[in-house]
Amino acid sequence: MKKKAIALFLSTMMVGSLAACGGSGNSSTGTSTDTSKAASTSSSAASTSGTASSGSSKPLEVVIWDTNQQAGLQQIADLFTEETGIKVDIQVKDWDSYWTLLEAGATGGDMPDVFWMHSNNSQMYMKNDILLKLDDYIEKSDTINLDNYMPEVTELYQRDGSTYAIPKDYDTIALWYNKTMFDAAGLSYPDDTWTWDDMYDAAVKLTKADGSQYGFAMNPSNDQDTYYNMVYSMGGYIVSDDHKSSGYDDPNTLKAMDYVGKLLTDACPSATTMSETGTDVMMQSGTVAMIMQGSWMTAGFLANDYMKENCDVAILPYDATTGKRASICNGLGWAAYSGTDRPDDCWKLLEWFGSEAMQKKQAELGVTMSAYNNTSDAWVNCTDVFNLKPYLDIAKESTSDVKNELILRPYTYNSTVWSMGASTALVNAWSDPTQMEKVCTDFAAEMNKAIAAENK
Amino acid sequence: MSLKTKRNTQKILVHVILIIFSIIMLVPFIWMMLTAFKSVGEATSVNPFVIFPSEWKTDAFTAVWKNMNFFLLYKNTLLLIFWRVVCACLTATMAGYAFGRLQFKGKNFMFSLVLFQMMIPGQLFIIPQYIMVSGMKMTNSIFALVFPGLVTAFGTFLLKQAYMSLPKDLEEAARLDGCNIFQTFLRIMAPLTKSSMIALGIFTAVFAYKDLMWPLVVNTSAAKMPLSAALATMQGQYSSNYPQLMAASLIACVPMIVLYLIFQKQFIEGIATSGGKL
Amino acid sequence: MAGKTKKVKAPVTSWERNQNIWGWLFILPTMLGLIILNIYPMFSTLYQSFFKTGDFGKGNMFVGLENYTTLIQDSEVWRSLWNTFKYAIIEVPFSIAIALVLAVFLNRKMAGRSTYRAIFFLPMVAAPAAVAMVWKWLYNSKFGLLNHVFGGNTEWISNPKIAWISIAVIGVWSILGYNIVLFISGLQEIPKDYYEAADIDGASGPAAFFKITLPLLSPTIFFVLITRVIGSLQVFDLVYMVMDENNPAMKSTQSIVYLFYQYSFKYGNKGYGSAIVLLLLLVIMIITIFQMIAQKKWVYYN
Repeated sequence: MKKKAIALFLSTMMVGSLAACGGSGNSSTGTSTDTSKAASTSSSAASTSGTASSGSSKPLEVVIWDTNQQAGLQQIADLFTEETGIKVDIQVKDWDSYWTLLEAGATGGDMPDVFWMHSNNSQMYMKNDILLKLDDYIEKSDTINLDNYMPEVTELYQRDGSTYAIPKDYDTIALWYNKTMFDAAGLSYPDDTWTWDDMYDAAVKLTKADGSQYGFAMNPSNDQDTYYNMVYSMGGYIVSDDHKSSGYDDPNTLKAMDYVGKLLTDACPSATTMSETGTDVMMQSGTVAMIMQGSWMTAGFLANDYMKENCDVAILPYDATTGKRASICNGLGWAAYSGTDRPDDCWKLLEWFGSEAMQKKQAELGVTMSAYNNTSDAWVNCTDVFNLKPYLDIAKESTSDVKNELILRPYTYNSTVWSMGASTALVNAWSDPTQMEKVCTDFAAEMNKAIAAENK
Repeated sequence: MSLKTKRNTQKILVHVILIIFSIIMLVPFIWMMLTAFKSVGEATSVNPFVIFPSEWKTDAFTAVWKNMNFFLLYKNTLLLIFWRVVCACLTATMAGYAFGRLQFKGKNFMFSLVLFQMMIPGQLFIIPQYIMVSGMKMTNSIFALVFPGLVTAFGTFLLKQAYMSLPKDLEEAARLDGCNIFQTFLRIMAPLTKSSMIALGIFTAVFAYKDLMWPLVVNTSAAKMPLSAALATMQGQYSSNYPQLMAASLIACVPMIVLYLIFQKQFIEGIATSGGKL
Repeated sequence: MAGKTKKVKAPVTSWERNQNIWGWLFILPTMLGLIILNIYPMFSTLYQSFFKTGDFGKGNMFVGLENYTTLIQDSEVWRSLWNTFKYAIIEVPFSIAIALVLAVFLNRKMAGRSTYRAIFFLPMVAAPAAVAMVWKWLYNSKFGLLNHVFGGNTEWISNPKIAWISIAVIGVWSILGYNIVLFISGLQEIPKDYYEAADIDGASGPAAFFKITLPLLSPTIFFVLITRVIGSLQVFDLVYMVMDENNPAMKSTQSIVYLFYQYSFKYGNKGYGSAIVLLLLLVIMIITIFQMIAQKKWVYYN
């Protein structure tokens, strides 16, 4: 190929120098457009295999953002192809590109057929009719009954009484700890009797003065997996129930953030170190003894030898004052593009991913916890290296007489603006925890302004 | 004698400087390579800090090679590069010649448009250009990849500078020979800017190869994805498998380096003959 | 320029008259492409900057100059612009000066020449994602090679005082090959007999460099300068990939294009994003026009 490239543009020159001056000078201005056409024809040769019952042999285009889930989901999609003859091509984009792609697609009117939805953005996509309305399909379907899914997740993808996505999964938060470090310090492992103060005490004891080991680690961007949980457990909130105002200046929220500040000062690496390295990498390299992480990280941790040898999972601590344990939960939905030329095929695929059997399979394969009721035990059993039960237990009414609460990840119409704003603002409090209260109260005002400016 | 020793010390000095800079240039690559051969644990270990892998593992390479269809990726990347280079060189050499050597009405205004384009950050074009491509129903194609590079303001400017630095009396001679403007351009002028053309070819190839956001957005199908986009998707949201990421990066670099080495030869030999004739 | 050759006594032939036609024919494909691909989107951006943009380009609301008045009062915008300048002030002069010296060396006949060239070119063929990743890793204050080898606990990319320099160093590192390639191609076009003549006159080494190389290379230097100034003022990839939102040094390193990206792509506020990018465009235009005027003083065309 490169030979050709050189040859082509050198020969263009050569022809020029050899041509006699009296000869007719053929204009070459058309060449550039010709080549581009050639490029398009050479590339638009589509794959040919017409077994699809639906008449179209092109695979359905599916886009997701999590590499860890690709292999498992492709297996499920392959079963779908066997069943229906409809091919499925699953592509992974990183988070940023994913949303740029959807945004460009929604603006330009040409999107992937099927994709994931997230609560951060779902309201905007639903309101603008970007997503295929599923009401009629659901009504006619024998497979899909929305009562079978976690109601919290179903709700995320409903607007004005219509449903726009089939619940795919849900995630909760738990505490990961390093058994080896606990053993070395002579501490007992975290369990369901732990309060936040117990965690703090242990974290302080596990912090070594020489900086080689720390008790805990969290970044301002670890909202869903760390400080949100503390806030809700201590009775505070991030967004009010009507999704209209900020809770960053709520007294209980401030109490929780004060606790965060204490942890940061006494048991965490410096803000700069954590931001450079990321808490998961610090955990995997044996620098910190505890982190809080979402169930979505399990597949990644399972691929790490150090984690497998040294670490395990415990349920989140509770707050002694409120007597409440809280975990943020979130769930993704499978959505289809409203402008797709094959809505029926798209629906078949959504139906497949949402079916009991495939939801169970998703859990068994260890892809993630499924949104379908009573399928999650399969996920817990996908490995015996880690005890994954804490992720499920927190969804129960209570554990050891402590009330458990699942809190839906706080959202508004366009959550990205303020959730990114929060992590930027909190950077200051992370560098100087004495500023925590001021930073949070100031940010509450900023966040209220951002919510007021939303399009809705 | 003293002149000779002076030249020799000069030579050594030059080599010392070049070697120092070479080391600076190479360190990140060496680190990439060392990381690629480590286990995940070793790559992220501080206590002890690991420079050389205790065991040279090729697991990362085999895993990456198995997971990614590199032949397809190479093919797409080369097609992308090929068409962008052809388009850029053809359009830019003509426009560069006109801007550099011809007088015509509206020239200054048109050239200011060329400069103007260079001043606009590329991120601005993603969505409008995407809408054009999707309007043509051409997403997921090599054409879509090539699309933003059909013409080049950068190349036009580069070649304009090259044409302007050629001696004045060249056209005169051609005219006396009876050549028209087009023939003069093709026969006399264009060959003299070969080194700039090759430089443009190299840059176009490099920029096409490095283009990230555009291929990610416009081609969602694996069959039409270039290397850069595939690499970026590997860097999943929370992925921290450094050895695999580094191994993939190294495998992805190889064809570009080979391509450069081939071009470089042309690049040097091409000019030696064309310079200073007139 | 070619048109000034009118004083030549040859009769006015079709040559002069044809310049108009050929000129336009030659630039036609390029201009057509640029107008469709770039200029038109630019104007739609200008248009957008007067609106509060709705979701997915629908339901835009005209707000007049509101985005611009907000912009003028927005300290974050000015700080980002200042950060961008800081970056450019390191990247442009260092990458040009170092590349110029290296290119002159590499233009001589010497052992290992092509090896050196290939080495300096390497950063250009490395995928940007890989470059950012490896540098982040080298700089890492805890796990990084840099602190390990030189000792100390320098927070290269998270200390607000030095992070922008660290970023600019990556910038110089990645762009050096680009400048070298351009300078070599420019050097190759300098006729060898000039140097021979100079050698006879006893001018060699540094003297020849200043007397011959610099003036004759000035069109190339000018080109590199213009493109690098523009390029460095548009810095985005490096900041985007090396710094993350949690980084305490983010505020003192985020560039203006990064801010534009945040508003346009992440916050869905294209109107304000457009205003930001137009401010940058204005700045770049002023600097470029200034350079175009100043070139008459130092750029030497044959």
